[in-house]
Amino acid sequence: MIRRALSSRTGAAAAVVLALVLVLAVVGAALAPYDPLAQDTTVRLQGPSAAHWLGTDYLGRDVLSRLLAGARVSVLAAVVAVAIGAAVGVVPGMLSVFVGRVPAWLSLRFADTLMALPFIIFAIAVAGLFGNGLFQAMIAVGVLVAPVYFRVVRAAALSKHGAQHVEAAHLLGVPRWRVLATHVWPAVLPTVVVTTANLLATGLLVVSSLTFLGIGVEPPAPTWGGMLASDLLYLTYRLDGPLAPSLMIMVTVGALNALADAVRDAGGDSGRAAHAVRREVSRAR
Amino acid sequence: MTGTVATARREHAAPGRASVPGPSGAAAPGAGAVVAAPLDERLDLPRHAALRAVGATLGRGVTTAVPVLLLASGITFALGAFGGQDPAAAVVGDVAGPEDVARMERELGLDRPVWQQYVSWVGAAARGDLGASWFTQIPVTESIAQRLPVSLSVAGFALVLAVLFGGAAGIAAALHRGRLLDRAVTAVSAALTTVPAFVAGIGLIIVFAVLVPVLPAGGYVPPSVSVTAWLTSLVLPAVALSLDTAADVARQLRTGLVSALGENYVVGARVRGLSGRRVVLGHVLRNGVAPAVAVVGLHVPRLVGGAVITEAVFQMPGLGQLARDAAMRGDVPVVQGTLLVAVVVVLASSLVVDVVQARLLPASVRAA
Repeated sequence: MIRRALSSRTGAAAAVVLALVLVLAVVGAALAPYDPLAQDTTVRLQGPSAAHWLGTDYLGRDVLSRLLAGARVSVLAAVVAVAIGAAVGVVPGMLSVFVGRVPAWLSLRFADTLMALPFIIFAIAVAGLFGNGLFQAMIAVGVLVAPVYFRVVRAAALSKHGAQHVEAAHLLGVPRWRVLATHVWPAVLPTVVVTTANLLATGLLVVSSLTFLGIGVEPPAPTWGGMLASDLLYLTYRLDGPLAPSLMIMVTVGALNALADAVRDAGGDSGRAAHAVRREVSRAR
Repeated sequence: MTGTVATARREHAAPGRASVPGPSGAAAPGAGAVVAAPLDERLDLPRHAALRAVGATLGRGVTTAVPVLLLASGITFALGAFGGQDPAAAVVGDVAGPEDVARMERELGLDRPVWQQYVSWVGAAARGDLGASWFTQIPVTESIAQRLPVSLSVAGFALVLAVLFGGAAGIAAALHRGRLLDRAVTAVSAALTTVPAFVAGIGLIIVFAVLVPVLPAGGYVPPSVSVTAWLTSLVLPAVALSLDTAADVARQLRTGLVSALGENYVVGARVRGLSGRRVVLGHVLRNGVAPAVAVVGLHVPRLVGGAVITEAVFQMPGLGQLARDAAMRGDVPVVQGTLLVAVVVVLASSLVVDVVQARLLPASVRAA
């Protein structure tokens, strides 16, 4: 399924872009031509030049270096947040198929509750009250991502659970965990892949929004969102300032969404489950 | 809530059913001639069914919204109770001695068991009292009442823009499906979903406030001062916030309309000589609009949350700024109050969307 998705042109392009972003996130800081925190007030707010390919910001810091160094925090925060959400949401989502009506109703209402919390305000509240750190912000985003996994996985597992060969396996006395592992999980996996790609895009948007607001990361450390916030303040001096960080965010988000679509189109995910993914993911943002 | 209603949206407009109600509640032209139902049924049923549907939706909506709200209030309260914020340390600062801390906690009732604090907090909140800021002593309800109109006007204006422009684009794309216009709408809406609201906001400021200075780059003017200034101050933030929703509405409406256009009753209406425009506006739109309305419901929390970011870009004194400033200071009552009010706004708007959907498509309630 994954291979088929990558053989499509958009899927391959998206994968290449994402691989590049990932490489930047890992080694970006080492590639930076300047120290991302080094200030040089003689070259403040300059446009692109041979010395500074993307120009400088209001403290004379090299924009390219900050962009590269900021990739790690921005991407890593989104990845960790989604990983937390997956860790909390996927297994309960599969197991919820077996529980009775009352626990199922309760767990769904609990998921509804978490999804009714507006992402940004909730993250602001958590980060503010539990100490303004990146880890707190990631936990907050992870908590809000978990119910999406829960609902999507539950929907996918439910659609498989009713299938005749699964029922037959039950009747033959196959233990539940083995039914889950051999029959339900392969059907759920594509859904999880698509959901993860979509949620990573959401996570990156939310993390950028938070760092834009100054939540999660203290100012001198470079992040894409934080760079935009200072670029906005000095917009009249450097109109093209916000361009580079904006493009980084948009290209990464676009590639993630394109990859999700490619996997979906590759037939890995179909019918009811695909519908549920779209619904829940769009609800989460 | 929205989810359960949204899943069962496909069973409507069975091709043979004659009682697809037109906008006025009368039997649809063309279709009404096929089956001769008793007169009273033809006159009464659609209206009754619609009312019943609205009532049922309201009932079901409230029964799911109340537990959700209670749970959300618990989570909100827990954030403050276990966040480790200390009012004495926050207000008195470094010089707070143990007796200051004890006195402060007694005054605020923080020396009681947590569940007692929660019960009294929820009880007061239900009566419209969310406590007072630890720092300024200003009642939280008062600050929120001051800020909420800003956030609601941005989010509401954005919603209107998204429905108008997204709807128009979706209809246009469906009518020209497969042609250039359709592909353009699809491509543009796919691109727009990758643009975060604050990036769009910055872009709009660059174009419409700096390069071509026709609109203010920020600030908020209340409508009581000047309605025109209010609207102009809202245009850029609302457009920035609406892009994502508009794109989704356009896409969903196109999908819904294209599938509705393939139904037999459309062919029947065309064969009977109705104009394409009349078929679309009178029949197809009503039946194909369901997924788009559901999408609007899903976007409401995003609009409320996104308004926070948009306010920051355009420096508007809204709910988001209140929440951020309070969170940064550790002003627990204000943060809790803001979060709770945001949840109430989200739940109330999903309820409204559900009711609109039930009114448009009574069949969806029967199917659910």
